[in-house]
Amino acid sequence: MSQPIRDRGRPLPSSAFAGLLCLAMYAVYFFKTPSAFSLTGVTDLLNNTVVLALAASGLTLVILAAELDLSSVGVIAVTNVVVATISTKLPAGAFLSLLAVCLLGCLAGLLNGWLVAFLGLQSLACTLGTMIVCEGMALLILDAPGGEVDAFIMNRLTDTFFAVIPVALLIMGLVVVLWLLFRQTRIGIAIYAIGADPVASRLSGLDVRWTKLIVFTLAGIAYALAGYMLSAQTGTGDPRVSNSFLLYAFAAVAIGGTALGGGRGGVVGSVIGAALLTVMQKLLFALGVAEFYTNIFNGVVMVAAILFGNLSAFVALHQRVRMAAR
Amino acid sequence: MEMNDEARSTSGGMTALKPETVTAVLVLLSAVVMMLAMKLVNPTFGSVEQLAAILTTSIFLVVASYGQGLVILLGGIDLSIGVVMSISGMMIAGLTNGSNEALFWALPITLVTCLAVGLISGLGVALLKIPPFIMTLAMGTTFFGVALGVTAGSSQRTVAPMLQSLMSARLAGIPFPILFILCFLIAGSLLQSRTAAGRKLYAIGSSMVAARIVGLPVATITVAAYAVSGLGAGLAGILLAGYSSSATLDMGDPFLMPTIAAVVIGGACVTGGRGIYFGTFAGAIFLSVLSTIITMLSLSQGWRNIIQGGIIVIALILQTKQWYLFSMVNRQLTRKRPIYTGQPQNSET
Repeated sequence: MSQPIRDRGRPLPSSAFAGLLCLAMYAVYFFKTPSAFSLTGVTDLLNNTVVLALAASGLTLVILAAELDLSSVGVIAVTNVVVATISTKLPAGAFLSLLAVCLLGCLAGLLNGWLVAFLGLQSLACTLGTMIVCEGMALLILDAPGGEVDAFIMNRLTDTFFAVIPVALLIMGLVVVLWLLFRQTRIGIAIYAIGADPVASRLSGLDVRWTKLIVFTLAGIAYALAGYMLSAQTGTGDPRVSNSFLLYAFAAVAIGGTALGGGRGGVVGSVIGAALLTVMQKLLFALGVAEFYTNIFNGVVMVAAILFGNLSAFVALHQRVRMAAR
Repeated sequence: MEMNDEARSTSGGMTALKPETVTAVLVLLSAVVMMLAMKLVNPTFGSVEQLAAILTTSIFLVVASYGQGLVILLGGIDLSIGVVMSISGMMIAGLTNGSNEALFWALPITLVTCLAVGLISGLGVALLKIPPFIMTLAMGTTFFGVALGVTAGSSQRTVAPMLQSLMSARLAGIPFPILFILCFLIAGSLLQSRTAAGRKLYAIGSSMVAARIVGLPVATITVAAYAVSGLGAGLAGILLAGYSSSATLDMGDPFLMPTIAAVVIGGACVTGGRGIYFGTFAGAIFLSVLSTIITMLSLSQGWRNIIQGGIIVIALILQTKQWYLFSMVNRQLTRKRPIYTGQPQNSET
C-alpha cells in the first residue's frame, strides 16, 4: 500500500533525461554564442522560459487529474490584452492589473472546472469552446496588436533581483516550492489518486468534482500569470497567441515526464521541459536554422517527446511488474 | 411485422425515434428560425440568390467536417484540417498555375498528398498510441512548416479557370455547389451508416476494447478514418481555392474550429460512438447561416469567436442533458408495446 504513495511524486524516468538534455543544450548554446553566457544573457533566456513554464505548470495539474485543457492560449491572450490596456491607465496599474488578471484566470478556470466536473462535459471539447470564447474576448478588448504595458511591469519583472538573481528564476523557483508544498496537501494527494483511477477515488470517499474544480481554477490562475509575464516581456498586447504555444505547453509537460493519461509526474518536470524547449528554440536560431525548419522541428519534437514518454512509462510499468513478481 | 420487431430488438436501439435524426432536424429548423428572424429585422434578407450563396459558401464546411465527424466518431479529433486545407489550396493553385490541362494530374497529386498527411496522423494515433489532438496538431505544425519552406511564404497564385468556373456553374438552373453538397451528403451518409467499414467505426468508437476482442481491425479502421479526414480537408481546400480563385497559406485556418463545432452541434458524442453525418451536415449549414448573419449584422471577429465558442459549449451541455431526455421519451413511447425488452430470446420463440 505504501508503494504507490511513494511512487506518486516520482515523475517518469524521462524527466531526468530531459534535465540532462537541457543542460547539454545550454552548453552548446553558450558555446555557439559566448555573449549569452552573462547575467543579462541568462536573464533573457529565463525571461523567455518563464511564460511557457507557468502555462505548462498549470496544464500539468489538469493533466495529472486525467483531464485536458486547451484554454491556456485563450486565457493568455485575454490577460495579455487586459494588461496592455489597463496597466498604464490605472493608478498602481502594475498591482491592479495583476489582480484583474488573476481574477480573470480564476473565472476562466472556474468555468472550465464547472463544465467538466459538475456538468460532466468532455474536457477537450469544452475547453476548446472556452478557448475560442477567450480569444474572442481578447479581440473585443483589443482588435489589433497594440496597447502599452506599464513600465514598472516591463522593467522589474524582466530584470534581476538586486542584480544577482533574475526575477524570472525567482518566479519559477517559487512555483516549484509552492508545488512541492501543495503536493503534500490533501488536495495534492487527491489529484494523483483521481488521475490514476477516478472511480476508485470516488468510491474511497474523495470528492472528485471539487478536486477537479480546484485543479482547473489553479490552472486558470497559472495561465493568467503566464499572460502577465508575457505582457512584461513583450511590452504590448496581442490578441492572437499562436496555436503552436499550445503545442509547446503540452510538449513541455510530456517532456517533463508527466503521463498524458494522468496520475503520474509533476510540475518540476514541466518547468524543466519548458526550459528545454526554450533553449532548443534559441539554439536553432543561433545555428541559423530557417523559420520553416523550426516549425517542422517543433512538430517532430512533440511527437518524439510523447513517444519517449510512452516508452518510459512502458519501461517503468515493466520494472514494477518485475519487482512485484520477485 | 415480426421481422420488423426482431430487427428493432436486435439492433439494440429499442427506440421509437432516433435521437440523432431528431437533433439534426432541430438544428436545421433553428437555422431556418434564425433566417426568419433575420428577415424580420432586415426585409431585404432572404432572396433566393442569397440563400444559394449561403449554401454555396457552406460547401467547404460540409466537406471538411465529414472527416472530422469520422475521427470524432472514433473518440479522436483532427486539428490538422485547417493546415491541410491551406496546403491543398496552395498545391492546386501552384501546380495548375492558371492552366486547365494541368488540372488532370494536379488534382490526383493534391488529393493523394492530403490523404498521406491524414494517413501519417492515423498511423501515429493507431500504432504509436500518440493522443490524437497532439498527433494532428503536430502534423499541422510540421506540414505548415513544409508548406512555408516550399512556397517561401509567397502566396496568391492563380487557380485553373475550370475550377473557378465550376464553383459558379449551374446545372439546370441549380448552382453546381448545391448539387455537389447533396451528392456528398448522400454518399457520405451511406458510407458512414450503411457500409461495413462505417459500422465498424461505431463499434470501435463505442468500445475499443470490445471491438478488439471481437476481432475488428481497429488499427486499419483508425488509420482509414484519419486518411479520409485528410482527403476531405484536401477536397475542401481545392473547392475553396476554386471559389476564391487564389490561395494563401492561412486560408484554411478559419475552418478548423467550425468543423469541430459542426460535428458537436450535430449531436455527435465527442467521446465517440455516436453521431450521424446528417447531423454534422445540419451543424455545418447552421454555422454557415450564423456566419452570414454575423457578417450582415457587421459584428467583429471577436463576437464571432465568442458566439462560436459559446455554441460549442452550449451544444455539449444540451447533449449531455439530451440523451437523458430522449431515453425518457423513448421509454415512454416503447412502454406500450409488448414484451420486446431488448432480449433476443423472446422474439425467437
